[in-house]
Amino acid sequence: MKKTWLRDYIIKRLLLAIFIAWAVLTITFVLVRVGPTSPADKYLANLTVRGQDTAQVVAAIEARYGLDRPIYEQYASYIVNLGRGDWGWSLSTSMPVMELIKTHWIYSFQLIFLSSIFAAIIGILIGIYSAVRQYSKTDYAATFFSFIGISIPNFWLGVMLILLFAVKFGLFKTYYDTGLPLLSLANLKQLILPVITLGTGMLAGYTRYTRSAMLDNLRKEFVRTARAKGLPERTVIGKHVFRNAILPLITIIMFDLGSIVFGGAYLTEIVFGIPGLGQISFNAIFADDYAVVVAVTVISAFLVLMINLATDITYTYLDPRIRYD
Amino acid sequence: MTDQLKNIKNIARKVGSAKKPIFITVIVLLGITFLLDIFVVDRIFDILVYLYIALGALFVLYGIPSLYASRRLMLYYWQRASKNKLAVGGLAFILFLILLAIIGPLFTADPTAVNFEEKNVPPLGFALEESVYDLKTGQFITHQTTGTGEHPLGTDDKGRDLMAMIISGASVSLQVGLFATGIAIALGTLIGVSAAYLGGKVDNVLMRFTDIMMTFPFFLLLVFIVFIFGPNLALIVVIIGLTGWTGTARLIRSESLSLRTREFVMASKALGASDGRIVLSHLIPNVISLIIVIATLSIPGVILAEAALSFIGLGDPNVASWGMILRAGQQNLDTTWWVAVAPGVMLFFTVLAFNFLGDGLRDAFDPRSNV
Repeated sequence: MKKTWLRDYIIKRLLLAIFIAWAVLTITFVLVRVGPTSPADKYLANLTVRGQDTAQVVAAIEARYGLDRPIYEQYASYIVNLGRGDWGWSLSTSMPVMELIKTHWIYSFQLIFLSSIFAAIIGILIGIYSAVRQYSKTDYAATFFSFIGISIPNFWLGVMLILLFAVKFGLFKTYYDTGLPLLSLANLKQLILPVITLGTGMLAGYTRYTRSAMLDNLRKEFVRTARAKGLPERTVIGKHVFRNAILPLITIIMFDLGSIVFGGAYLTEIVFGIPGLGQISFNAIFADDYAVVVAVTVISAFLVLMINLATDITYTYLDPRIRYD
Repeated sequence: MTDQLKNIKNIARKVGSAKKPIFITVIVLLGITFLLDIFVVDRIFDILVYLYIALGALFVLYGIPSLYASRRLMLYYWQRASKNKLAVGGLAFILFLILLAIIGPLFTADPTAVNFEEKNVPPLGFALEESVYDLKTGQFITHQTTGTGEHPLGTDDKGRDLMAMIISGASVSLQVGLFATGIAIALGTLIGVSAAYLGGKVDNVLMRFTDIMMTFPFFLLLVFIVFIFGPNLALIVVIIGLTGWTGTARLIRSESLSLRTREFVMASKALGASDGRIVLSHLIPNVISLIIVIATLSIPGVILAEAALSFIGLGDPNVASWGMILRAGQQNLDTTWWVAVAPGVMLFFTVLAFNFLGDGLRDAFDPRSNV
C-alpha cells in the first residue's frame, strides 16, 4: 500500500523536477539570446584590437558557435547536445563545460558538506541545551547570539574573518591554496574560516529551530508520562523529546541545503577564492562565458530540486504517518 | 463633534468610496507617462520614481484605510509590541536610518567626489602608518596619517568620504528593501487572497504555480538576469519583488481561508456586498497585521540580496550601495580596513533591527503568546 503511493509520488515529483529544470534551462537560454549583449561581443573586442575586420570576425564567431542560425534551431541543437552530456564549450577556459564542472564541483561539495555538519551538530546541541534550561542565562545568550548569527551578512563575516585572522594575526592564508591535497590537515585548516563564514547563519537558524521544536515537545503529555514512570532525565530528553523534535529539523536542514547554502556558498567561495562552482560561474560572468553560466545555473537548480525531493522521501520514512498525494 | 471634524470625515468617506477610480486613474496616468518617457522623450524619470508613486498610491488608498479600520486593534498590538525592548530598539534604529538617508546628504560631502590628496585617511581616533618614498632624501620614510574630524569615518583609496558614502548607501538599501518588499507583498496578498476567496480551480492553479516558484533557485537566476540586462537598481528591485511573493501568498491564503467562512463575511455576503468589497473591507483589514509582520521580516533578506549582488560586482554603478563599498574595501584589506568594516556594520545593524522588530511584532500579533 505504502510502496505504491510513494512510488507514484516520487515519479510525479521527478517529472515536476525535470519540468522545472527544463524551465530554468529554457529561461536562461532565451535570456542569453535576447539579452542586449551577444556572446560574441567580448571576443570581438579582443580580436578587433589586433586589427582584424569586425564584420568578418563576428560572422566567423557566430558561424563557429552556430549563433547565426534561428533561435529555435540553436535551442534544438543545444537540447540534443545536452542529451549526449555535452554542455557546450567554455570560451574563457577553452575546455568543455562538463570537464570544467567535473574538476571544480568537489571544492563546492567539501565546503557545503563541512559547513552543514558543523552548523547542524553545534546548532542542535546549543538548541537542546537552551530548551532544557529555558530562561536561564545561557538560554538568553544563545537566543541573542542566534539573532546575531541570522542577521550577519555572511560575505561580510568572511571579509572580517580574513581581516582579523589572516591579515592582522596571520594565522591563516588570505587565499585558498588549490595545490594542497583535498584530504589533508592543511586543507582542513584553510577551510576553517570559510566553514565558519558559511556555517554561522545556518548554525543560528538550527539553534532557533531546535530550541522551539524541543520546547513544543517538552510540554507534551508523553513527556510527563515518561518522567512519571521514573525514567532518567537524560533518557526523557534524548529518546522522547529529541526524537520527536528532530523530524521537522531534518526538513529544515535539508531545505537549507537547497536554498540558503547555494546562495551562501556562492558568496563564500568568491570571498575566499575557493574554486568551486560558484567561483567558476562568477568568473564566467565577468568573462562573458555564457555556456558555463547557463550550465551552473541549471545544474544547481536541478540539485536543489533533487534535495527537496530527497527531503520529502526521508520524511515519509522517519514519520510513517505522513502521506503525500 | 465640531463641524470641521465632520467635514473632514465626509471628505475622507467620499475619497474612500472613490478609491477604485482614483487608483485606476493614477495607474493609467503613470502608465501613459511611463510609455511617453520611454518611447517619446528619452528617460526623464528613473523607473524608481514610478515605483514610488504606484506603491505610494496603493498604500494611501488601500493600506491606510485598512489600518484605520482596525485602529483599535493596531493600538493594542502596539502596546504589546512596545513591551519588547529589542523590538522598540529595532524600530528606533530604522527610524534613525530613514532620517539619516533623508537629511544626511544635506550635511555631508558629495559621496562621489574623488580627491587623491586625501586618500586613505583613517577614521577619527585611528592612525595609519605607511612606507612612503621621500623624493628629497631618496629614502623610504614612515609616514603617519591620523584621522581628522573632516572625515569622521575616514576616506577610501580614491579620497571619497566614507561617511557620505555610507549615508548614500543607507538610502539605497532602504529603497531596495521597501520597494522590493512592497511589490512582493502586494503581489503575494493579491494572489493569496484571490486563491482563498475564489477557491476551486483558481486556487489550485495559483497554489501549484506558487509551489513551482518556491523551488526556483532565485539567487542564481537573479545574478544571471542582472548579468544579462546590466546592473540597474530598478531592475534589481523589480526582479526581487516579482520573485519574492511566494511565502506571503501562502500565508495570506491560509489566513484568508479561515476568514472567509466566518460569520461577519457571511453576513456581509447576505447583505449583498460585492466580492471586491468583501475582500477589501473584510479580508484585507483582518490580515493586515500578518502583512506587516511578513513585510518587516522579509526586508532584511531583500537588503542582503542587493548587497550581495553589489558585493560580487553586479550592483548599479551609478549609486554607492553598501555592498559596493564593501567590495572596494575587501580589495584593500591590508591597508584601508575601515572601508570594509563600516558598510558591513551598517548592513548588520539594519538587518538585525528589522529582525528584532519583526520578531517583536509577530509575538505581539500572536494572541497565544504572552508578552
